Amino acid sequence: MNEFLEQFLIESRELVEQATSDLLALEDKPADGERLDGVFRAFHTLKGAAGIVDFTAMGRALHAAEDVLSRVRNGQARVTPMLISDCLTCLDQVVQWLDAMQGSGETPSDAEAKADVIVARFAGPELMATPAAPPPSTNWAYDLGAKHPADRARARTALRYRPDEEGFFWGDDPVAAMEALPELLRLELEPIEPWPSLDAFEPFVCRLVIMALSSASSEVLSPFCATLGGQVELTALAEPTVQDEGLPPEARDLLDAQLLLLDEPAPEGAAGRMAAAGRVAANVLQHLGRTVEARQVEQASAMPEALRRAIEAVLAGFPIVEPDALESAAAAAAAPVADAPPRVLRVDVERVDALVKLTGELMVAKNALGHIARLAQDGADAKGLALVLKDQHALFERLVNELQRSVLGIRVLPLRQVFQRFPRLVREMAASVGKPIRLVTEGDAVEADKAIVESLFEPLLHMLRNAVDHGIEPEQARLAAGKPSMATIHLRGARNGEYVHIEVEDDGGGIDVARIRRVAAERGVASAEVLAAMPDEEAAELIFAPGFSTAAEVTGLSGRGVGMDAVRAVVGRLGGRVTLENRPGIGAKVRLTLPFTVMMTRLMTVEAGGQAFGIPMDAVVETVKVARERIAPVGAARAFVLRNRTIPLIDLAEALGETRETSPGADANVVVVAVGGQLGSLEVDRLGERIDVMLKPMDGLLSGMPDVAGTTLLGDGRVLIVLDLQALLL
Amino acid sequence: MTVRRSEDGRVVLEGACPIEDAEPLLQLLLADRRGAVDWRACETAHTAVLQVLLASGTTMIGPPAGAFLRDHIAAALAQAGS
Repeated sequence: MNEFLEQFLIESRELVEQATSDLLALEDKPADGERLDGVFRAFHTLKGAAGIVDFTAMGRALHAAEDVLSRVRNGQARVTPMLISDCLTCLDQVVQWLDAMQGSGETPSDAEAKADVIVARFAGPELMATPAAPPPSTNWAYDLGAKHPADRARARTALRYRPDEEGFFWGDDPVAAMEALPELLRLELEPIEPWPSLDAFEPFVCRLVIMALSSASSEVLSPFCATLGGQVELTALAEPTVQDEGLPPEARDLLDAQLLLLDEPAPEGAAGRMAAAGRVAANVLQHLGRTVEARQVEQASAMPEALRRAIEAVLAGFPIVEPDALESAAAAAAAPVADAPPRVLRVDVERVDALVKLTGELMVAKNALGHIARLAQDGADAKGLALVLKDQHALFERLVNELQRSVLGIRVLPLRQVFQRFPRLVREMAASVGKPIRLVTEGDAVEADKAIVESLFEPLLHMLRNAVDHGIEPEQARLAAGKPSMATIHLRGARNGEYVHIEVEDDGGGIDVARIRRVAAERGVASAEVLAAMPDEEAAELIFAPGFSTAAEVTGLSGRGVGMDAVRAVVGRLGGRVTLENRPGIGAKVRLTLPFTVMMTRLMTVEAGGQAFGIPMDAVVETVKVARERIAPVGAARAFVLRNRTIPLIDLAEALGETRETSPGADANVVVVAVGGQLGSLEVDRLGERIDVMLKPMDGLLSGMPDVAGTTLLGDGRVLIVLDLQALLL
Repeated sequence: MTVRRSEDGRVVLEGACPIEDAEPLLQLLLADRRGAVDWRACETAHTAVLQVLLASGTTMIGPPAGAFLRDHIAAALAQAGS
């Protein structure tokens, strides 16, 4: 991929992110001029970027959005939920294109047709809020379908073709060309403007608009349309609803009555009446379980024409262009995760400057070392030399630490990178389950290692999905419990020393422990006796157990057949842990505790069987000396009691196939560790020092080695093997 | 000539009517504004010819011979004339 395109991809993604967050903010506060400007600027810049790489389809789609946004800026149109959705859909499409380009390095071949769909979306009537002369083509696709309901029922695409006026001179025969239109159902010919009198008629100027319905998809039609001269618009039509015959007569009457209400001429109180009509119509549909249409009607209820069309569409049995927002949003969100992470990192210039400065200082320190070497050669006194060397060592230590920090700093990203994708997704998830939910994000400026930030998307998605699906009660139940009907989910990030805490807290009903026990028993996660004996907190933690969540619960959004056990696995892999705080009736809080960086690990060194091993410091609870007689055999294993808790004991040397060197009489040196919430302990020969290391994962032949997390070099050149306690103890 | 006036005064379109027919067709319709057009023998017609038919709003005597004209254009003409 050339550098040019790479830059385009990076910039475009940033702009999409910015536009998305501005759009969502705008939805909350439609009057926020600054956000509106932000959205407009982002779309405008994106369009410009598309122009630079010659991606005309993307330019066209963005231009359509920009047009509408510009009308909003000039006060000719208003911000509506529909407009926000349309703009988000446009951005989703852009992201899909970007993903495709990232893969292939080329603009996708079907982009034109997809752009047509976007353009048609923005040409819809909903956005023409003001009476300021909407163009005649506003909702031609709908009108065409309404005129020919039988054909409409089979049609997938509507086409509107305005041939070049001078086309006849180049040999065009636009109507005849329609004969080749794939799966043509219906053709209509209309004059651009009313025909002049026959005396003034010019037979060789084409004044026709050709409209057609086809049962082929717009993807099939677009190559055909590319062969036509003049302007072609394609609009994808929704599948007609299957159950439209099922609209009960009462519902039909009610909807008809709303149409009559809209028809009544009355300058005052029109807005109130319209809102009422919209509400009644939406409620009728909601009652019938036709939520999608209800939503459409609701969205349209700000504008009389849009509302009329929406109601008429329901009566006629087909909604116009069904926005499949949920699916596309999910696809857009999921796609970048599935792909390889971007290989380019944007770095603050200041951070690079700091590195350059450090390099300079290291050079100076290196020269000083040369000088000391010469002194030693000249036979300087050993004590003096040792002093100078110690100084140099201290200096090097400072510089290397700083260097390490700076290098890691380059890999640091704000949590915003992952957090900002969730408001959108939670909005869609909430809509799909019909619960009013708001997401409050805090601490999105908190930074963490790039690897961590980039791996957080999926675990957090599962946690949020879980909160939306299971945590938050249905609206009725909330009201009955005296809670506000609007549920709140908090997504928080905070830095705590070397750790980053990320919490998802909902104000729902908490985890239903009885249900968890039942489900766990059904799915064979644990036996009935074990479950019955389990304290409630422990039972709640079963949601993290492998096999607890099943494919039956997989929703369109998560869709990967994984549940909360995947969260624990991912977080564990990053060196973090998951804790759960369940307050029945009040809510649940899942907290991820992650290391600030994946590269730096604090280790405690131990010796066993004459070999040095590292144990990750954050797993170490304490070190104790245990008298031999207090160690009791339990089955094949051994255990001892520490402050009334029985702790299993593993002899590290034996476990790793070495022989112990200490005499059996002496007290045992034991390191107590906590892994996945459980205590365990290791008997070692000697305890060593604490060190900070850059952990290198095992690669090559050794990568499959069990019980080992990685290696690092000790100061004396020995290789330190760092133990994977999870594998060793569990 | 694929466009002509028949003995009984009707305008007749026959076979494949090319773009050149548009002008004579217009003249014929201008001469007799209430005249009907018989296109029962018409196989195909150029857009310009159809456009004249549309603009004049003349009565069509059909159905036309060509399948595409019969299945799609006739209905479109009737629709536009209504």
